[in-house]
Amino acid sequence: MIEMFQEWFENRHEYAKHWKEKTGGKVLGYFCTYVPEEILYAADVLPVRILGSHEPQDVTEPYIFGMFCPFCRDCLAQGLKGRYDYLDGIMISQSCLHIRQAYTSWEMHIPVPYSYYLPMPNNVQSPRALPYLVGELEKFKKSVEEWTGKTITDEDLVRGIEIMNRNRELMMKFYETRKAEKPPMTGLEAMFMVVSGQMIHKDDHSRTIEDAMKELDGRNADRNVGQRLMIIGSEDDDTEFIRMVEDCGATLVVDDHCTGSRYFWNTVELDGNPMEAIAKRYIERPRCPSKDWGERSRLPHIMKLAKDYNAAGAILVQQKFCDPHELDIPAIKNELESNDIPTLFLELDVTVPIGQFKTRVEAFLEMLMEEDLF
Amino acid sequence: MFAGIDVGASATKCMIVDESKNEVASAVRRTGMSLRKVADEVYKEALSGAGLEPDGIKVVATGFGRKNVDFADSIRTEISCHCKGCYHHFPRALTIVDIGGQDTKLIRTNVEGKIIDFKMNRKCAAGTGAFLEEIARRMDVPLEEMNGLALSSEREIEIGSYCTVFTATEILSKIREGEKQKDIVRAVFGSVIKRIQEMNPLIGDVVLTGGVVAHNEILFDLLEEALGREVLKPPKPQFTGAFGAALYAMM
Repeated sequence: MIEMFQEWFENRHEYAKHWKEKTGGKVLGYFCTYVPEEILYAADVLPVRILGSHEPQDVTEPYIFGMFCPFCRDCLAQGLKGRYDYLDGIMISQSCLHIRQAYTSWEMHIPVPYSYYLPMPNNVQSPRALPYLVGELEKFKKSVEEWTGKTITDEDLVRGIEIMNRNRELMMKFYETRKAEKPPMTGLEAMFMVVSGQMIHKDDHSRTIEDAMKELDGRNADRNVGQRLMIIGSEDDDTEFIRMVEDCGATLVVDDHCTGSRYFWNTVELDGNPMEAIAKRYIERPRCPSKDWGERSRLPHIMKLAKDYNAAGAILVQQKFCDPHELDIPAIKNELESNDIPTLFLELDVTVPIGQFKTRVEAFLEMLMEEDLF
Repeated sequence: MFAGIDVGASATKCMIVDESKNEVASAVRRTGMSLRKVADEVYKEALSGAGLEPDGIKVVATGFGRKNVDFADSIRTEISCHCKGCYHHFPRALTIVDIGGQDTKLIRTNVEGKIIDFKMNRKCAAGTGAFLEEIARRMDVPLEEMNGLALSSEREIEIGSYCTVFTATEILSKIREGEKQKDIVRAVFGSVIKRIQEMNPLIGDVVLTGGVVAHNEILFDLLEEALGREVLKPPKPQFTGAFGAALYAMM
């Protein structure tokens, strides 16, 4: 069953097209995980995350700045190449300017019937963030109602919340198993699971997690775990890179990525007004560095993950030109290293030089192994 | 006897050492297209130089082509091997700078010779041997004459960039301004040093090693000038990786 996640990951567009045919429903592409999927599920719209394809491309140059991150350019390239031609709408929640320009450029150059910019507050640590976001979510709900011609009731919202929460709880359970001395799933498999969940209807995805859960007992028992590593960064769906790292004699046991734990780590705590509960969840979720100030709340969170999952080292991957994440790296590096968790810094582009990176990863693992000897 | 084979991007090196870690023989060749063949050749050359047979010799391979050495007993990354090789000569906390054909490595060790951290250049090969090769070609100077030419320079000029493409453009304007070839070549070496300093503040005892500095000793002078203190030079800098690999073979 676990293989299903990879199959979905690789055939994301076929799945969405098929879903549309089958249900006659609308599919919306979103650019950032601060998008409140609860409201979309409440409206029976399928949200799919727009991600890149990790191929060199030459189509975006006239449409987005060259010094914007390779990820946002790769996303836009998918649209320009027509790979998301089945979308009925696109949306973004404010996170960083780069991905926002990918969204705006898409809106201008790849017309879709519906598009929405949700001004998610950046200063989520302010007490005013919550009431502000509740208001914005109400506005967004109204816009979705106009688009779909369907009223979204509180019951619908609760249903949306339940669909999302069930999926989050299942993924957390799955992650929990990775704390074991012999994790039953590799980091690559975990990545396939989380990222496919951003493209597949949550009900299908949750059902598959439940089934896959039954297969975990004793799974990967013969696999050499090697060094237990944590991986930290922005968006990361570079499966080739992850495979290379694990093939060098390591297992990624936990991550802090928005294509990983940051996406599902906390649930909506429903008591009272559902919209307020949804807003609260997004205000309180493990933060993206573009929203993590004045306190840097990521540091204790990352340290706790590293300890809970018993990571021996951490790989810090940096999306080239991503300023918010790069700004956090010295602090994260310092925090981990002063807690005896060595780090390896690597800079990701659309494609990564696997050979060069391999030498670095192997040297890092040799360094960690030597640590074991002392 | 113990052998280390370092299959680098430009050159493949082999060093054989005895039980007391003394060099018995060594060999070096251009890496070329067939990594297997060149590894085999340098090993044979070193063996015959020492009058040895391969039986009973432990071999550790390193360098970017380490996996192609099928007769090696084990492999190690060049980071570990350079560290091992340099620490043998200078047993103290070090900052090791290795300039290779395609990449530059900066390795920091503690007093026990353990790696604390390391850094390599990113995708771009600016400031490495490949950079010098390209500039030599553009300036019509044989690669092996670059060092001598730079040493004869009497005038200090500066090149602002270490990007190969930008440097080539800058050199054109220097030529136009009437600067002498030898002064430009010295400035090109200077940009290699600047690139290293940009990667790391170079604290403490610095060892400079690798094939590029073995052939271009001016880099020692320039780095000492830039740091204002002595820079350590291992014997046979081109072989520190192979030597470190041979030391690993001993373990």
